[in-house]
Amino acid sequence: MAMDGSFVVPGTAAGGEWVDEVLLGGAAARVGLRLPEVVEVGKLRRLVRERQRELARSGLRAGGAAALRLPPSLAFVTYLLAVWRSGAQAILLDHRLTDYEVRRAIERLVPQVVVSPQRPVVAGLRTFVDVEADVASYSGHPASTSHAVVQLSSGSTGPSKVIGRTAQALVDEVLRYTKIDGVPLEGERVILLPSMVHVLGLVGGLLYGLHAGVELVPPARLTGDAIVQAIAAEQTPATVLGVPFHIGLLASVQEPPKLPQFKRMTTGGELVPAAVSQAFEEKYGVPLGNMYGMTEVGVIGTDLYGAHRPAIRPAPGIDVRVVDGELQIARPESPYLGLVDPARWSDGWLRTRDAGVVDAETGLVSIKGRLDSQVSVGGLKVDLTEVEYTLGTLRGVEAAVVVYDGAITAYLQLKERRETVRLEAELSQRLASYKRPRTLHVLDQLPRTTTGKLVRDLTVLRKAVP
Amino acid sequence: MSNLPPPGRAEVIDWLAGLGQRPPGAERLDSMELAWLVHQVEQRYGVELSDDQLAQMTTIDAAVAVLGEVLSAHA
Repeated sequence: MAMDGSFVVPGTAAGGEWVDEVLLGGAAARVGLRLPEVVEVGKLRRLVRERQRELARSGLRAGGAAALRLPPSLAFVTYLLAVWRSGAQAILLDHRLTDYEVRRAIERLVPQVVVSPQRPVVAGLRTFVDVEADVASYSGHPASTSHAVVQLSSGSTGPSKVIGRTAQALVDEVLRYTKIDGVPLEGERVILLPSMVHVLGLVGGLLYGLHAGVELVPPARLTGDAIVQAIAAEQTPATVLGVPFHIGLLASVQEPPKLPQFKRMTTGGELVPAAVSQAFEEKYGVPLGNMYGMTEVGVIGTDLYGAHRPAIRPAPGIDVRVVDGELQIARPESPYLGLVDPARWSDGWLRTRDAGVVDAETGLVSIKGRLDSQVSVGGLKVDLTEVEYTLGTLRGVEAAVVVYDGAITAYLQLKERRETVRLEAELSQRLASYKRPRTLHVLDQLPRTTTGKLVRDLTVLRKAVP
Repeated sequence: MSNLPPPGRAEVIDWLAGLGQRPPGAERLDSMELAWLVHQVEQRYGVELSDDQLAQMTTIDAAVAVLGEVLSAHA
């Protein structure tokens, strides 16, 4: 660390010293993870060095990229840190993506190695799994950018779909967390529910936890009882990090034990209905915090004491503004790889596509919903246009309209007779399960306006179903 | 262990409604609904379901069938 408390973070091509400085520092006996068996930081360091040698043998070089197609696991944590410590770029692919989606991503991003599970992952309701990984050589290309991490938003084609963040941006976000009142502190625990392959679990959980000396505890299963057991397992203060769905799980646990160590629950993602937050707070008597962020930036604002619900306060160092009703975040450089859509980033401002209001007096920000076709499914963003486009590529589909009415629902017009189960089976080869429509309605004719445009109004579509 | 009879289709739909509004006619269960159902079963029956059983619970009817089998065996 430099004298002024800042960290010196070279570009990824120059090295990965920041991993040791920012994430893996401190005593070897310090607890990194409880799975529930304890993984100390000393063990993490040793595993990371072993993974580095393995990656190097398969062709990963400083300035190259490695694609990680791993579920949340010790393998994911150690390969990720090993990639960064090698001075390379990590391309994070959700393990639920189909082979088709992964192939398209890899062809576009050309990593030097691909790390995947040796066997298909049967995760059940586990939040953290035990996997053996295979490292395969893929190309000899250097990475196309000096970002430390590359993530896909829903759909990997078209401009502004692939998001990159530099090591400096990740470290800045970790340090941003340290300045927010109400985050878990050294010696405390985070009961980690969101996937650490995505930004909330990755930076808010894994990276912040390793930096700040907060123990990471994935519960054995994603059920209310298992979360309560994870909190109760130690006496040290515990913060539960999750998405709104998890509040409902905890709120409906019948007669939970007394949990004096339960400190707070913090969720990211969509807004929480008042009835749910009230039921939770009455049952556990701890604050329910709220966070707002996005893959491109990480945490943008918080309300960790539930004092401003549903508004949030911008995190230290985050500048926001509202233009034509849309919330924008100051970002000196575009976070997107390849072509940049000026509707997503221009002139130093990232356009969130969220409708927002900034209170001139207090600076508090209220989010009023999406301005585009993106929806949140369990905290994962899904672009309905991607679902619609993919349906349109299936044989026999004339036109498709995909809407969100509590779940993703598709309305189809066919040009040849196809069984719905066949269409669903073909779609399952092309789209990860969380992106797939819950219901496919096949109509003789999709409703259209007088000018021939497809109608997206829910009431009209529902009425058209035979 | 509970002596409650296994849930029928109407009861499962009722549990799912506790999670939020479902689109009419939706049969397939998503991963969150599955987690919610398992949580309900644990709360009411004190029974933990295996990975194999979870993997079979892809639709409302399939879930009712699996729960019928598992919970009858435990009754």
